[in-house]
Amino acid sequence: MATSFAGVPIFDYEALASILFFIGLAGAIARRNPLVMLMSIELMFNAANLAFIVFARAWLNNAGQIFAFLVITVAAAEAAIALAIVVVVFRSAPQVDVDDVRVLHG
Amino acid sequence: MANPEHVMGVVGSYPLLVALWLLPLLGAVLCWAFGPQLKRAAGWIATAIAFVAFGLTLASWGAGTQSLNGALGADQPLVRWMPGFHLGLLLDPLSLLWACIITGVGALIHLYSIGYMEGDSAFARFFAYMNFFLFAMLTLVLSDNFVGLLIGWGLVGLASYFLIGFWFYKPSAVAAARKAFVINVAGDVGIMFAIFLIVQKTGSIGFGNAFAAADTYGPTLLLAICISLFIGAAAKSAQVPLHTWLPDAMEGPTPVSALIHAATMVTAGVYLIARCAPLWSHDGNAQLLVGTIGGVTALLGAVLGMVQWDIKRILAYSTMSQIGYMIMGVGVGAYEAGVAHFFTHAFFKAQLFLGSGLIIHALSNEQDVRRMGGLRKRLPFAFIAMLVGVLAICGIPGFSGSFSKDAVIQGALDHGHPWLYAVGIVTAGMTAYYMFRMLFVTFFGAYRGDIDPSELGIRHPEFAGTSLHAPDGAADHHHAPAWLMNVPVAILIVPSIFAGWLLYGGANSPWHHFFDPQFGVGAIARIPIPELTTTLVTLAFVAVGIFVAYLRYGTKSARAAAVERLRRESLGMSPILANAFYFDVALDALFVKTSEALGRLVSRVLDPHVVDGSVREAVIVTQWSGALARSFQTGLVRAYAVFLAVGIACFAAFYAFHGVH
Amino acid sequence: MISFWVIAVVLVVSALWTVTARRPIYSVVSLLLNFAALATTYLILHAEFLAVMQMIVYSGAILMLFVFVIALLNSGIAPIVLGRDRVPLAPAAAVALAAVAFIATTIAAAHAPAIVPIASHSPLGEVGRGNVFGSIGDFGQALFLSRLLPFEVTALILMVAVIGVVLLAGDLTPYVPTRRRAERARRALREAILREGK
Repeated sequence: MATSFAGVPIFDYEALASILFFIGLAGAIARRNPLVMLMSIELMFNAANLAFIVFARAWLNNAGQIFAFLVITVAAAEAAIALAIVVVVFRSAPQVDVDDVRVLHG
Repeated sequence: MANPEHVMGVVGSYPLLVALWLLPLLGAVLCWAFGPQLKRAAGWIATAIAFVAFGLTLASWGAGTQSLNGALGADQPLVRWMPGFHLGLLLDPLSLLWACIITGVGALIHLYSIGYMEGDSAFARFFAYMNFFLFAMLTLVLSDNFVGLLIGWGLVGLASYFLIGFWFYKPSAVAAARKAFVINVAGDVGIMFAIFLIVQKTGSIGFGNAFAAADTYGPTLLLAICISLFIGAAAKSAQVPLHTWLPDAMEGPTPVSALIHAATMVTAGVYLIARCAPLWSHDGNAQLLVGTIGGVTALLGAVLGMVQWDIKRILAYSTMSQIGYMIMGVGVGAYEAGVAHFFTHAFFKAQLFLGSGLIIHALSNEQDVRRMGGLRKRLPFAFIAMLVGVLAICGIPGFSGSFSKDAVIQGALDHGHPWLYAVGIVTAGMTAYYMFRMLFVTFFGAYRGDIDPSELGIRHPEFAGTSLHAPDGAADHHHAPAWLMNVPVAILIVPSIFAGWLLYGGANSPWHHFFDPQFGVGAIARIPIPELTTTLVTLAFVAVGIFVAYLRYGTKSARAAAVERLRRESLGMSPILANAFYFDVALDALFVKTSEALGRLVSRVLDPHVVDGSVREAVIVTQWSGALARSFQTGLVRAYAVFLAVGIACFAAFYAFHGVH
Repeated sequence: MISFWVIAVVLVVSALWTVTARRPIYSVVSLLLNFAALATTYLILHAEFLAVMQMIVYSGAILMLFVFVIALLNSGIAPIVLGRDRVPLAPAAAVALAAVAFIATTIAAAHAPAIVPIASHSPLGEVGRGNVFGSIGDFGQALFLSRLLPFEVTALILMVAVIGVVLLAGDLTPYVPTRRRAERARRALREAILREGK
């Protein structure tokens, strides 16, 4: 197994992916704008993809790349539906704030 | 643990025995069910049944004394249940004697009661209770196993409760009944425990099996069994320290006192020890314990009897003392002597009580001897009856009591207890003193019934022991024919004098022949004091007692100054004697107060705080956990996002630590 | 080596700006920059097909969707707020703790023993050459031969997504070509209703 490519150890790539993931997670939790929330979620997807690609390269195994491809596809579908929901919910809202949607309270 | 059945008697079918046992139950049920319809006839029915039962007992004499291949008496199996648990009836010399006394003396007392309870509003109920008592006592003595004995034991306690509290509108009677019952139940526990031990060892409740294995118990187990049995015997027979119920039991009608608390029920303890003679004979320590307690009770009863003013309480303490003699006798191993004293005591004590009943009835329920006096002229027949009884109980030679009492005292010596021998002799002297004191104060001198009670030293005349008939017809009930009460008393005079002659002849007496196959244990005289010496020494003490009583109450000057003398003695009585050595106080503090405190603890602390509190806590916990679960449902999307992240973090941590596989 | 650190810095900064930008359109732009840097990283890691896919699908389609929706909606200014009464603090702290724990375990796992890999069909070679690891030929062979089922399932997922979007946000009124015909249709409908009402 290769522990580094071009002098960069795998650990650095892992750390990078983790940092990106948690930035996305923080954004998903902290921002009240639904669109920014969704973008943070996309960021998390990409961080995961980066990890997949890195390990695919480390082990010379195609499965990682294929899975990343599938992740991209599913993320696209999910983004479409999520945006549709956002549009429907906030069409006539005065302000786009996710905290105002408390229908599930109880 | 299926041992072969050891049966003590000849197994067979004895219809007379079963009839004898069940007939009083029939009488009780009849009087209970048809009391209001029968009215006075209830008394005659009950009395007739008692006499028939007595006849059946005599008819079963042959079956009771038969002996065949080592089996003595008659055994009638009743119920065969599990292996080792068979209930049946056993009629051997011991139970035959007890059955004769129960039905014979019982029948006479039934006859007496028809006259005594005349006019009482609950006439039929009284006879139902009396017949029920006969049935219960017969169950006790006729059982061939411990469980049947225990059933009879409990039923007899119940009958005693019924009869002591017969006049249930009197609070003192109800309290006395309750006290007697509670102390009796304490004794029941002792017997139950003994049954547990015996069943654990032998696997059977029958007498035969228990006694056949007497060698195999081992000293500790045997002592435990004997002590447990004796707890029951002490409670039933009013031995120290479980004696406090007997004086209070005089709240019941006089016939009840005569039958139950003199002749039969209180002797159940004596029966138990005599029945379990094979167990006691193997354990010297238990014998010493029982004998000592018997001696102590005899002494205590005599001491307290010397300072009583209620005629029935004098007789109650005298009963306690005499039963102490009996327990002492069977305790040390002198079974024939102890049982003989029971036999003679039944007659003369019943007569004393019935005689006192004549007095009480004639004086319209006056029981305090201080207000009597000079009754020799007014009630001559009562005087003769009481005189005979007193002479018998004092052990004057020729009367029945002397034979049996001397036998007991000599038996204590023969079995190696010189101290009990001394106690027996001293107590005999004291018995003579207080019995003659009663005689002199009651029958001699001038009649004091018209004198103001406080002059005689009676502080509370209303508590001076006057018994109460039913409110209706108390003042103007037509008197029953005198023969109803006089005839039984007259009949009892004969055995009071002559019953003791059955012991005449020592080893050749009819008594010994009757009981030899039953007990068969001889006595080894350790200190060779012959019987004649014993008799003379006892007689000397008795004479001293009579003389002292005469000096204090019987001389001409004493009789003249009776009022003065009685008042001084009443007011100057020391509190120790007045409170009966504080036994009541001690038992009250030990048991009653602690039970009350426990009850208060439960009702004020445990119930509201622990029990209700735990229910409330369950509610609170449910509500709190619900609120906690609800707090997660905020409706906020971002909060849900956080929860998702937490879950993912948990998964990630798990896989990071444990690996994927 | 240098390139890695430059790209790493770009990735992190653009991610941070995505999350913290005041206006959503700024977030979109910085996300675009992030995706571009990622594509570059993929190229370095011998995943050239993925790099191109990333740019086309993510930057070209998904981000454009975001732009359209932003344009449609009345997007106000929503700063970062961690109100105490809105988001439960304890789970947020737990998440932070989990983050730390995760990174720590990653560090620990860096020294873990190697997992035996399954070698790919093609050897490692220069990026851009055919039939090397990560090239289109290699990727296609793997996708259509050994991983065909997941591929078909994603097709299904996409169809479901399209149907869902149309149902959720689509306008379901029937299509009329010109405005005039639309007016005539509306008038006819009104008269029919009035006629029926009589």
